Amino acid sequence: MAKGNTFLYYGKKLLLFFVSVFVLSAVVFFVSRLAPGDPLRAYYGDRVEKMSPQERAWAEERLGLDEPIAVQYARWLGGALRGDFGISYKYKLDVWEVIRSRVGNTLLLGGTGFVLIFTLAPLLGVLCAWQEDRALDRLVCKAGTVSSCIPEFWLSLVLILVFAAGLRWLPSSGAYSIGGGGAADRAVHLILPLAVVVIGHLWYYAYMVRNRILEEVRADYVLLARSKGLPRRRVLFRHCLRNAAPSYLSLMAVSVPHVLGGTYIVETVFSYPGLGTLSYESARYKDYNLLMLLCMLSGILVIVCSILAQVINEQIDPRLRTREAAEPPEVTER
Amino acid sequence: MSGQFEMVGIRPLPPAEPARPAPWYRGKPVLSAGILALLVLGCLVFRLAPVRDPAYMDLTRCSAAPCGEFLFGTDAMGRDVFSMIWYGGGLSLFIGAAATALSTLIAVVFGALSGCAPAWLDGVLMRLTEILLSVPSLLVVVLLQAALGEANVLSISLVIGLTSWTSMAKIVRTEVRQLRGSEYVLASRCMGGSFFHILRRHLAPNFFSSIMFMAVMNIRSAIVAESTLSFMGIGLPLEVITWGSMLSLSEQALLTGAWWIILIPGGFLVTTLLCVTNLAGALRGSGGRGQSNL
Repeated sequence: MAKGNTFLYYGKKLLLFFVSVFVLSAVVFFVSRLAPGDPLRAYYGDRVEKMSPQERAWAEERLGLDEPIAVQYARWLGGALRGDFGISYKYKLDVWEVIRSRVGNTLLLGGTGFVLIFTLAPLLGVLCAWQEDRALDRLVCKAGTVSSCIPEFWLSLVLILVFAAGLRWLPSSGAYSIGGGGAADRAVHLILPLAVVVIGHLWYYAYMVRNRILEEVRADYVLLARSKGLPRRRVLFRHCLRNAAPSYLSLMAVSVPHVLGGTYIVETVFSYPGLGTLSYESARYKDYNLLMLLCMLSGILVIVCSILAQVINEQIDPRLRTREAAEPPEVTER
Repeated sequence: MSGQFEMVGIRPLPPAEPARPAPWYRGKPVLSAGILALLVLGCLVFRLAPVRDPAYMDLTRCSAAPCGEFLFGTDAMGRDVFSMIWYGGGLSLFIGAAATALSTLIAVVFGALSGCAPAWLDGVLMRLTEILLSVPSLLVVVLLQAALGEANVLSISLVIGLTSWTSMAKIVRTEVRQLRGSEYVLASRCMGGSFFHILRRHLAPNFFSSIMFMAVMNIRSAIVAESTLSFMGIGLPLEVITWGSMLSLSEQALLTGAWWIILIPGGFLVTTLLCVTNLAGALRGSGGRGQSNL
């Protein structure tokens, strides 16, 4: 690729990124303000009901909520470009502070889940492809289909019912015990939520790996390699896996937000103090500034990951660059 | 001719038995379809002839374990779980179907529009769907729900339908882009066929089979979405009985150890989802992969 071309290529991606982020911010801003609800309640709590109209007007003016939405948006955008996203109405802290106190927990849960999912999925997928249509493959496929049909919140409930309420082996909620907080304590609190995250996603990706490899072993070069006398194992691991790897990489890239988003529900059920519970709260209580920043962060993550997946695809397979199908593999809603 | 030559060196084979025709149920999800039909039938029958009022709260018998009188026990508000299951199941299934119908409609129109549009408009529309995909759908649902006010069955179907059409729209678009150059579409255009006429008569029949699988899977995700939302307290309120809103009482059930409030509605939910998934899988068709070379 010529140098000017590279520049243009990444320039286009960058432009796309900024436009997407801008449109996203506008959409979230306007939709969240259009929804009825009282942001003052988040700030003042139940005192809102006893406020006189004058006090209300004063409070709204103080928080800048009395102006037209477009003006509010312009002001927010101006602040955001300078890195100032305002304060959280509920916590009365800079929104970055609020998020900083929670983001570690979500990254721990989501990150560990991500690593586990993407190491187990290829193992399981390859195992199934190796045993194609034999008893083991069928068994794993059946179990996987069942596991993918269980809603995450219900799986969490059942696990709590069995392991926390019934057997009393594991804690049912939180990220650490009150007063505690050692590594072992945190790990114990992580087991159940992590299990739900992994079980909820694992089969989806393992099945993709399985099917990708099953397509691959039907190619002609496999027949050639086998007829030259290469053992099955060598053909599978040296030839087929290599061909399947690029699409797996880009799949990993698109699935980052998917897996992190999956932790939201799990966090709520386990009252795990992470970004999921935070964004749920902020949307319910109209904590506008916090909601905006959370939406922007997750939106940016999604956009970056999908562009990353596109770049991976196109860099590894140059044919895709001009072709219509230069789109990352789809992670469908489930 | 046959008398003049004699074939030699051929091992006489026994006459091949006529291949037995494969039984009709081979490769068809008979079990899933049957169970699903039973569930739907049960819900319908219960609607027409309710055994017991599902909303009646027998406050003297709160959280009663399953017994002869209450087959599945009662919940924390003294309602009979057995009749709630059948009553609520109808609503859960209805929400799944309604939300899917809406999202399929939007996906087909939007995808076809994008597929037929000139390149720049197509690009804009596709970027738009990507942006929509990038907001966590949970947040979108919370916001939309807040905008629509108090949740009811129709509003929640609307919200779920509005948030779940994007990936299907992408598939429709890809299919339409391949179809739009074909002669019959051109001919129809030349004769003045409108966009919706072409969509209905020429495009839809062609891409119908490829979105069928996704449509059925959307039923599944709509049911999951409804139950998750109701469970979290942002979907349907407790008085509107669905499998999801029944499960929203489960935090109390965990404290009192009332397993039937959690396991029974969830069991019905998972069974339904499993059946729907199997049906969808059968629609996609698994055969035709051919012999492995490995």
